Amino acid sequence: MLSLAITLCIVTGTMTFALAGQAPPAEYQVKAAFVYNFLTFVEWPSRTLNEADSLRVCIAGEFPDAAAFDELNGQELMGRKLTVRRMKSVENAQGCHVLFIGSSEGGRLSRLVESLKGSGTLTIGDTTGFAQRGVVINLYIDQKKVRFEINAEAARRAGLIISSKLLKLAGVVYGLAPAGN
Amino acid sequence: MINAIIKRLPSGVEDKLGTNPCRGPFRGLVIIVLAGVAFSICAAGAMADVAVSRSSTLTRLTLEELMNIEVETVYSASKHEQKVTEAPSSVSIITSDDIRKYGYRTLADALKSVRGFYVTDDRNYSYLGVRGFGRPGDYNTRVLLMVDGHAINDNIYDSAAIGTEFNLDVDLIDRIEISRGPSSSLYGSNAFFGIINIVTRNGRELDGAELSADAGSLGTARGRLSYGKTSAKGVGYLVSGTVYDRKGGNLYFPEFDPSNPGADQRAADNGVAAGADGDRSMSAYAKLSFPEVILSGGYISRRKGIPTASYGTVFNTDDTYTMDVHGYLDVKFDHDIDSRSNILARLSYDEYWYYGDYLFDAATPPAPESLYFNKDVVYGRWFAGELKFSHTVFSGDKITLGAVFKDNLAQNQINYNASPYEEFLHDRRKSLVWALYGQDEVTFFDRAILNAGVRYDHYETFGGTVNPRIGVIYKPVDKTAFKFLFGRAFRAPNSYELYYNDGGLSSKVNPDLKPETIDSYEAVFEQYIGTHLRGNVSVYRQNIHNLISLQTDPMDGLLVFRNVNEINARGIEFEMEASSPGGSRGVVSYAVQKAEDSQTHEILTNSPQHLAKFNLSIPLMREKVLAGLEEQYMSRRRTIAGNYAPAFSVMNLTVSVQKIYNGFDVSFSIYNLFDRSYGDPASEEHVQDRIEQDGRNFRLKISYIF
Repeated sequence: MLSLAITLCIVTGTMTFALAGQAPPAEYQVKAAFVYNFLTFVEWPSRTLNEADSLRVCIAGEFPDAAAFDELNGQELMGRKLTVRRMKSVENAQGCHVLFIGSSEGGRLSRLVESLKGSGTLTIGDTTGFAQRGVVINLYIDQKKVRFEINAEAARRAGLIISSKLLKLAGVVYGLAPAGN
Repeated sequence: MINAIIKRLPSGVEDKLGTNPCRGPFRGLVIIVLAGVAFSICAAGAMADVAVSRSSTLTRLTLEELMNIEVETVYSASKHEQKVTEAPSSVSIITSDDIRKYGYRTLADALKSVRGFYVTDDRNYSYLGVRGFGRPGDYNTRVLLMVDGHAINDNIYDSAAIGTEFNLDVDLIDRIEISRGPSSSLYGSNAFFGIINIVTRNGRELDGAELSADAGSLGTARGRLSYGKTSAKGVGYLVSGTVYDRKGGNLYFPEFDPSNPGADQRAADNGVAAGADGDRSMSAYAKLSFPEVILSGGYISRRKGIPTASYGTVFNTDDTYTMDVHGYLDVKFDHDIDSRSNILARLSYDEYWYYGDYLFDAATPPAPESLYFNKDVVYGRWFAGELKFSHTVFSGDKITLGAVFKDNLAQNQINYNASPYEEFLHDRRKSLVWALYGQDEVTFFDRAILNAGVRYDHYETFGGTVNPRIGVIYKPVDKTAFKFLFGRAFRAPNSYELYYNDGGLSSKVNPDLKPETIDSYEAVFEQYIGTHLRGNVSVYRQNIHNLISLQTDPMDGLLVFRNVNEINARGIEFEMEASSPGGSRGVVSYAVQKAEDSQTHEILTNSPQHLAKFNLSIPLMREKVLAGLEEQYMSRRRTIAGNYAPAFSVMNLTVSVQKIYNGFDVSFSIYNLFDRSYGDPASEEHVQDRIEQDGRNFRLKISYIF
């Protein structure tokens, strides 16, 4: 009986101790904050984004915690309002300035990237391999911290200009044009 | 792995463990159930608390500040979640984090924590039991084990190595993906109860060198050196080598204690086998990856002393041992032809050696002059290839077509006595297996997936076999999934079952063996609640036909393998996983199953009817220290002699600290914390009814990353 008592004490004791402790922020809340921050380092082509326009952020696919992105809705960024729309799949993603693509859309990714050429859409993902497959910014976790990789070639094809400050902070940059271009 | 007729010890040996259900193992079951309930209440309550909107404060931080925040990665790779809910089977995943947290030393340790799985050990190999099926003496032939898609099961015994004879150091594992249910429709033979795929870590993740050393009870020591990197162009490499040595303790076997009235005639040395349980191995692994091509290779050589005096060998000698050596090379090419099509091609080459040295004494009572060795020398060599093409039709229909071949260049089995030399078996075979498979995955209205596949395998020994599988996955709402699965799988008779014999002295061959088949029906319900709670329930029924068993032919008294049994198994499994905002994570599972012979209605030997498991990891001291606690309960199991190995539960505790100083990680584990005494049912070659397992033992592990 003693080991039963000890075990239950250890289990419930440490659990309440742990639960009372400081909670680290949820993964998707931090990722949403990253997305918000990225927007200040990206320039959209003027034909797709006028002075008065609101910045349309689309979240496409299935996420464990898509509601975290809803927090961005209505926030202000450099004088523009952000509107956030969530959708089941990328099939209906039209007219978005920012498109966050979930891993569930991996199968449709290549087709999507093709169709978005020159459209001025900043594509963002958080699935391994998305940057190499043409998504402009891809988030990943390294030792519990959020990092990101950038596909500069994909940004060029979409007609976006990425600030060198963002490029410097990126973990990996693909498709950087050789100096002198 | 030799046939020798063994006299069974009369069951006069005392059962030391008692049968009072209110003590011992039943207590463990109570602990698990109560802990699980307590944990889920806490987690659910905590979940309700954490609706605090933190986004507004987070968005005010700069990128540099955000990059310093540590996140709780409940579903860090959402592709894993996708994998679990959309796979046409019940999937469990064990991550490298779990391996570290719970101090898993081998793949077997990790598999012991899996819902519905159990591992038995005869101090020679580790045997995996799935859903109530794990007959003593069966080598792990009914599970397909792969490393990055490369099959590990050898071509003589078809055995999946899960103990210290497994190719890979567990530190090199990124995750273990376990997919339950018959999968012959994709993988062919051995994918009978399911498949286990080990995904290895990448050079990018290592980013430099890693040195790891551990020391533990019973003279255990292991050392590993790994190095890996990935360049900006996407070229990565990883190289690693491990050496392992375990002296083993002194083991007492009452069956070999001369002072015991019913002791075996080979009894000696007060029944103590000293230094006969040694285990040592050397393994290496290397991987070179380019964007579309991955080359990998592994090697293991492992020598295990046998202390149980199995097969009638001399008691208390370290001269009886088995040695398993397996080396392989694999090259995989994975190319996206266009946005909708992909082609995968793989070529691999494997070599496998098995050596068994068995020390016998011709005289009774034993005398040094009459000692002689009987030896097994087994060699297998095979070259395999696969071509897989998948295409997604515009409507979302994904079609996969594949062709596979396996050319068994050598399947040799030799058995002989040394001095005086006398050969009993010298069998050399070659064979070719080829297969074609196809699978169609159709998504309906974003809510349902129909996955249907079939594979045709052709074997030179018995001809062809067709195995289908159909799965329907229905997700009425985002976080709920219902799965209905039906599949058929087969296991081809292996070289050992077909051809091993000792020239008619005690056994003979049966080249007419047919494959075993299994029909399985399963219904699964999976539910994610918020981001912190996940539960699932599975109900299944499996019928196994033509099970291959070793029998004695009444006509000539010789041992022979025959397709003789019909088994039916049914069960229900429950699992719940919860995580708290504080960083704690726990999993509780309970499986109840009944696996019986269809004709005699007898429950199988070594088949527990209840399995309960509990894993809990808790960050302590501002998350620098992590405690991993696990408890595993197994109900009683029938032995070959008709006795019972009593129910038991075992608790393991690991405390680990990451980056304690510079690049050092330290962990300390106590296995079998309460020093429970328990034994696993022995098999035909043992005189013992049960083989007692280790009591409390420790391990200290230090890693340095530079």
